[in-house]
Amino acid sequence: MRSIELTLNGTRVRTTVEPHETLLGVLRQRLAATEVKSGCERGDCGACAVLLDGRAINSCLALAIQADGRAVTTVRGLGTPETPHPLQAAFVELGAAQCGICIPGMLVTLYAALAAHHDASRREIREAIGGNLCRCTGYHKIVDAALAAARRLLESRPTGAPS
Amino acid sequence: MSDGSSTPGPDGFRIVGQRAPRPDASDKVFGLTRYADDFAMGGMLHAKVVRSPRPSARIVRIDRSAAEAVPGVRCVLTARDVPHNVLFSDVPGQTTTVGPLRARTQVLADEVVRFLGEPVALVAAETEEAAEEGARGVAVEYADVPGVFDPEAAMGPDAPRLEPTGNVISRWKIRKGDVEAGFREADVVVERSYRTPFIDHAFIEPEAGVAWLDENGVITIRVATQVIEHFRDVANVLGLPHSRVRIIAPYIGGGFGGKEDVTVEVFLGLLVWKTTRPVRLCYSREESILSPTKRHPFVMRYKHGARRDGTLVALEVELISDAGAYAYLSPLTLLYGMVHAAGPYRIPHVKVDGVSVLTNNPPTSAFRGFGSAQPAFAYESQMDELARALGLDPLAFRERNYLRKGERLASGQELETAVWLPETARRASDALGPRRAPSGPGKRVGRGVASALTSYGRIVWLHDWASAWVELQMDGTVLVRTGVPDIGGGQAASLVQITAELLGVAQADIAIHIGDSALTPLAGTTTATRQLYMSGSAVHKAASELRATLTAQAAELLAAPLEAVDLADGAALRRDAPDRRVAFRELAAACARAHRPRSAFAIYQAPAGQVMDFETGQGKVFPDFTFGSQAVDVEVDEATGEVAVLALAACYDVGRAINRNSVEGQMEGGAAMGLGYALLEEDRVAEGVTLTPNLMTYLIPTALDVPDVTTIVLESGEGMGPWGARGIGEPAMVPTAPAIANGVRDAVGVRLTRLPITPERLWRAMQEARRP
Amino acid sequence: MLLPRFEYRHATSLLQATTLLAENPAAQALAGGTDLLVDLRERRRQPPMLVDVGDLAELRGIEAADGATRIGGGVTVGELLASPLVTARLPALGAAARDFADFLTRNKATLGGNLANASPGADLVVPLLALDTAVVLAGPSGERTVPLDAFLLGPRRTAARAGELIRQVVVSRHGGRQAWYKLGLKRGGAIAVVSVATWIALDLSGLVTDARIALGAVGPRPFRPREAEALLIGAPLDAVHVARAADLAAAAARPITDVRGGADYRTAMVRALVARCLDPTGGG
Repeated sequence: MRSIELTLNGTRVRTTVEPHETLLGVLRQRLAATEVKSGCERGDCGACAVLLDGRAINSCLALAIQADGRAVTTVRGLGTPETPHPLQAAFVELGAAQCGICIPGMLVTLYAALAAHHDASRREIREAIGGNLCRCTGYHKIVDAALAAARRLLESRPTGAPS
Repeated sequence: MSDGSSTPGPDGFRIVGQRAPRPDASDKVFGLTRYADDFAMGGMLHAKVVRSPRPSARIVRIDRSAAEAVPGVRCVLTARDVPHNVLFSDVPGQTTTVGPLRARTQVLADEVVRFLGEPVALVAAETEEAAEEGARGVAVEYADVPGVFDPEAAMGPDAPRLEPTGNVISRWKIRKGDVEAGFREADVVVERSYRTPFIDHAFIEPEAGVAWLDENGVITIRVATQVIEHFRDVANVLGLPHSRVRIIAPYIGGGFGGKEDVTVEVFLGLLVWKTTRPVRLCYSREESILSPTKRHPFVMRYKHGARRDGTLVALEVELISDAGAYAYLSPLTLLYGMVHAAGPYRIPHVKVDGVSVLTNNPPTSAFRGFGSAQPAFAYESQMDELARALGLDPLAFRERNYLRKGERLASGQELETAVWLPETARRASDALGPRRAPSGPGKRVGRGVASALTSYGRIVWLHDWASAWVELQMDGTVLVRTGVPDIGGGQAASLVQITAELLGVAQADIAIHIGDSALTPLAGTTTATRQLYMSGSAVHKAASELRATLTAQAAELLAAPLEAVDLADGAALRRDAPDRRVAFRELAAACARAHRPRSAFAIYQAPAGQVMDFETGQGKVFPDFTFGSQAVDVEVDEATGEVAVLALAACYDVGRAINRNSVEGQMEGGAAMGLGYALLEEDRVAEGVTLTPNLMTYLIPTALDVPDVTTIVLESGEGMGPWGARGIGEPAMVPTAPAIANGVRDAVGVRLTRLPITPERLWRAMQEARRP
Repeated sequence: MLLPRFEYRHATSLLQATTLLAENPAAQALAGGTDLLVDLRERRRQPPMLVDVGDLAELRGIEAADGATRIGGGVTVGELLASPLVTARLPALGAAARDFADFLTRNKATLGGNLANASPGADLVVPLLALDTAVVLAGPSGERTVPLDAFLLGPRRTAARAGELIRQVVVSRHGGRQAWYKLGLKRGGAIAVVSVATWIALDLSGLVTDARIALGAVGPRPFRPREAEALLIGAPLDAVHVARAADLAAAAARPITDVRGGADYRTAMVRALVARCLDPTGGG
């Protein structure tokens, strides 16, 4: 067992992990971050996407030990009901979430994609979420909401930093 | 946008029809929703299912000693530990026993395994790691016995028998007119065979749940399920009174019929009952794909006859469905297939025969469409070919043959509500705009249209019902309680919206409790596209009753005649003097003082019907249907066979759109699922072995595979649900595959009769067509 | 399913990493983990130790030097895609990076990992083969450079010795006419059914002075059909020569039939896609 320390959504946390535990497993079971979803455990579905030092990755393919000294951001770190991220507000407004299980990963990916490319087109948004599988929505309203959020971000806060 | 409390819009509604944000949307985007596996109890054990690696074998011996010796393993169960080792697939609540519909399977296999992945043992341990090691430690000795993997072979006299009575578990027929005579009148006959594969539901949330023994000794199972009524099945397996098992359905990460049969709940119940500890079970993706249930592969032989004038005259259909290793809902699914087999068309002479056959393949059961999607692929492909053979425009040919309101299906059922098929086809087709040019050399573009009817609501002789409770609380807010499982289609949200409309209360002031078999009035399954109709009607009824009580009380308080009182903005007010009002909080207190009930409980009973005549296949089967069409533009790469869907338009008569975003969302999502069915998805099974066990090999559409979907929502107001609403969940995915197949045919002149239309299959067909 | 247990070492220098790997021949280097961790989960590999090389500065960087492009083994596919140098000099590699899996996987998967994995259809390997690439292997006692073609031995087998890491690839060719096509079963994140990369140099009169064709997923490892290349050299890049080169490339292919496609289809696709890469306007 190794003791690791990381920043989770801005808060310093410490826990012990075994080397073979994935970041996904430790987030869900040790750090109560059940907002990070497990859909396939092998990087095929994107439901477990988190930001690791700002980069969007599948947490099922990262070892928990690799998060030592790093910052992990989940969907809860993007915004809260009191201070929603424009992506979250747009998803609610435009009805982009149905069953919702893909949404945490989807929002993390979109956050990262828009941060890198503020003026993404519909096509570019689709490319960004190509690894985030959704079985309910057909992606249409997700793309609509992402575009609406991108516009809002461009208008107000061009850097799109997390709240 | 309305929040439910302001004055009605031009269509007379305050919030019905609006794009009201769903009450559950907020938690979902902030990561606060707790799905089945987002829940833990202290001292919780982790469970694993031990599954058969063979598709057809006798269990010779099970040695659990190594498993039990693993540190941390608390419990290893096999068939002999199950008090009543049988699960029936009766449709919950059915009050008529119909022989062919009673299907059974075992909880844990005792003597024989009939499919690869069949559960044989359960292990529960202190940690997931110990559970996995324990599962690996259960030593099962199998002796292979001959299996059968093709339904037609399984019908043969020498085929291995999965049941002593034979492999055919269901036969249906429909007879109308005289097909021999009909074909003699035909100028053109189109005869083809169509095949569809096993399909996996591929919900992003795998089957999962946590169960515990509560303080009253009730086995409480919090599980991703479409059916909380499974508490009865679990109780029956354990030999307990029904009230000793409680099922809670949290928000579910997708169902599509795959969480309709019993999945993890019976295993959880068993382990809690045995260990008295809380237990968690979550399937891996591989398990989810391997384990029951899948969409039925259908082999469909279609022979249509039509006259030169473009009218259909005869249809002969043979449907063969692969029931897999256990019947589950195969007989019912086949029945749906039968009634939908002729499509929404007027045909004087029809003969349909269907058979569902056991094989040692993965068990098949409910999947969005429930037997109506496979025939639609066939009949809409046929309609296109017939149009071509007659030299008629595909839309015009359909229009000549669409059934109209008042006419009857081949199974004799009268279409009693609006049939707006011609309009849906025209609007969908027009929405695509002018024909697109190919994007480059070697590319061909084609356009395809397909129409379909899909039932909503449960079979009429099953006496469907749903119940709901609506209450005005002492603080002036409203509480709704009903046992609906919400699988993502906005089931709960629609009920809140209906309540807001009737009581004039903002959505934010309505709380809803759903999905609890002990504490919420039962509303039946979230299946068969029945919830908006059934629980919607129950909530409508309860809220209407409450409204009547509240307006009566308010009329007294406001000294106004009853008809002058309205409920709006969270208050009762006089229509002629809106400033004369009683806030709901005061109204609640007034009701309490007057001993007037502040709540209403209502049961909505669907109009019941007689059992159909199984000899002739005649009779009313479904309460109603949803009619719609989809149109697609596809581009084919002639060199590789790749098909890109450039544009897709869907047009449905939904009766009444309660939540516009939800309706569109179902249409968009359904089209995507249909696109997957057409081009990508196949659960490939060879000799009973699944070759596509994960999402890398089982391909569901990504955001790059699905185009923007144009949705056109029509509202005839003639559905059976609240304010004339129809269901849309299943209908939304039915026309897509044939529309795409028709588009491909239009593009490259080749008709693919087998799904999915992969690049390789299309390429081969194009090669074949080029041969002299 | 949990991963099997292993010892974990986090390497802070290249020397430390290669020394650890040399001392523990059964250990595996962990870079992006997008292939390795899946192999572990599915028990295809069960190394007793993982050496994490994901933070090694020595494996980073993309630069142009001495006419070649040098790319660190630890550069991620996302970084390749975002690199102006790659876009300008190695568009075929950039295109392959774009088609590589999906955005999330690209953020983690590394160039070195893709090469070391040596999958028959390794997306980055194919364009690198067409661009005359050498692999710089760093070991505890020094470095050696191996042509990519010699580095790949077969499915999942490379010429790397125990203790060696891919420090860098040196891509000799750039510019010219580069093309890439990956045929996959879906549009987001698919594994290649067939992939093709080409690099053509033309003189002022339009004759081909040099040609490279690389094929993926149609043999035990990505390879170049030399006869097809030789046919093009000295000839105009016209429909006749394109077609003949495509035929020769198809003849050299050794595909298998698997869950993604049939062997004969793959052979036919080699012909079609080589033609398409060599002449995009031809409609092949």
